[in-house]
Amino acid sequence: MKYKNQPLNDIVWRKREDLKPNNYNPNKVATSEMKLLKISIQEDGWTQPIVVNPDMTIVDGFHRWTVSKDIAELTDGYVPTVMITPKDKAQQQMATIRHNRARGTHGVLEMSNIVTDMVDNGLEGDEIMKRLQMEKEEVVRLLYRAGIPKDEVFKDLEFSNSWIPKEKE
Amino acid sequence: MQGQSKQLEHNSMGKKNFQEDNVYVASKKRIEYCFKNYDKVCVSFSGGKDSTAVLNVALEVAKEMGKLPLDVMFFDEEALHPPTIEYVHRISKNPDVNMLWLCMEWKHRNACSNESPYWYCWDKDNKDLWVRELPETAITEHKRFKKGQAFQDFSAYYYEKSVGSVCYLTGIRTEESLRRMSVICSKQNDNYIQSSATWNSVMAHPIYDWSSKDVWLAVHKFGWDYNKTYDVYNKTKLYQKYLTQRVCPPFGEEPLRGLWLYSECFPELWHKMLHRVPGVATAWRYGNTEIYSSPKTKPDHLTFKEYLQVILKSYSKQYQNEIKKTLNGYIRRHTNKSSDEIPEEDAHLLTGISWKFLCRCVMRGDFKGRQINAINNEAIKARDKAGMSIREAEIKHGK
Repeated sequence: MKYKNQPLNDIVWRKREDLKPNNYNPNKVATSEMKLLKISIQEDGWTQPIVVNPDMTIVDGFHRWTVSKDIAELTDGYVPTVMITPKDKAQQQMATIRHNRARGTHGVLEMSNIVTDMVDNGLEGDEIMKRLQMEKEEVVRLLYRAGIPKDEVFKDLEFSNSWIPKEKE
Repeated sequence: MQGQSKQLEHNSMGKKNFQEDNVYVASKKRIEYCFKNYDKVCVSFSGGKDSTAVLNVALEVAKEMGKLPLDVMFFDEEALHPPTIEYVHRISKNPDVNMLWLCMEWKHRNACSNESPYWYCWDKDNKDLWVRELPETAITEHKRFKKGQAFQDFSAYYYEKSVGSVCYLTGIRTEESLRRMSVICSKQNDNYIQSSATWNSVMAHPIYDWSSKDVWLAVHKFGWDYNKTYDVYNKTKLYQKYLTQRVCPPFGEEPLRGLWLYSECFPELWHKMLHRVPGVATAWRYGNTEIYSSPKTKPDHLTFKEYLQVILKSYSKQYQNEIKKTLNGYIRRHTNKSSDEIPEEDAHLLTGISWKFLCRCVMRGDFKGRQINAINNEAIKARDKAGMSIREAEIKHGK
């Protein structure tokens, strides 16, 4: 079978300490995205292996490897890897860039629809924020585009202020 | 930084009486005049390229006239590009410069967020959120400054009365906008000198007639040091558009559309900016889409009138009330002139109002009635399209 020649056919669990980062990775990930990555592995499990070359340098998956430190227990300190064998450094760097850049962006209306579906399925605004690491601003704006006002998903659980009549002037 | 306004200089050529001096010579003469006529001359410095031009010409003149060191006032708005800070730092080391490095709690718009529509740079209550450390020589307080003032409102009050008359040199250029052109052309004598908030100070715009090409030519020709942010931006897709960039805080209405530049060029600063004020991550992702600008479309099941209420609710109570006041002003203006219902989508032919337009005012956080000219323009556009004069509109739609 031809698929047996694909790197993915041979996923190897390795000790995370055996892997080492490359020294050129251009991909900078902000803290909230790092948290999201961790949540993603915690909720969905490992779905993508880390790509390494034969000397165990990471070609793709540096940030997955970084967060794996905090959730090492989940897999007894092992991380899934596949190996590619770039013939030189340039080829390896190209592989890194291709892995990072070959992805799209999310359209605003489609995101608005998805978040609306989640609300229809009974999710609260706070939970969407936490599990997708979205700012409140993002949830609120995506929902108002679908016609859902803020107070329907972020319920105000405080009593309102009492009042007395103003003095007549 | 943001691009300059796209307005064309359509009729301003008629306002220009060209002189023999080139802009460089002319600006030197203007600054000489300022030194002769005011007790104190101070360069108002932003770190941008126009500031560079004013500063360097002023330094030359001050040297020739024996007026060194030169006061240079820098309004540090905290969330600045690292190369800007480095540049200002280099200038402050120049023995000919007396740098007044002001890091005060100025109020700025945060258009990224509807719940927190303003932020204060160098806010002493939130030191842990600052995106950089306070510069060593920073001036953080002043007896005439109160937290929340805009620096434009404060600058004229910096000097003591005993200093005498003060002239602030700015890098304002007419090429940048029609408004600036009209300021410069509003009088014949001392046309580049403008009165300010206080009786003993003025603002002077000695490079008002320079083009951005002139600025970069001078940088090149005289080997002036400049803000290397321009070099960084020149490596992005703004390649060759860098000539017209200017420096400003990043979270305002227009600047937030360029947040991607920070994430791409200055990732370390960017990661701190993400936590500095609410909404930054959201504005970075959607700043150039319809949930941050004007509603091109609306939810299918709502009218624009209903959609407006939904958007309004994204603000906290206090700001909801401010926007409602603004909207009521626009609505009153309409009902004073016309008995027609406010149209849903198409601009009213006499007043320009529509629920769609009011939606835009809510989305853009119009707290101060700033869209009034835009509403008038809507009416003009609508009448042009309908081939109707204002007189006809008054007869048909007026009271």
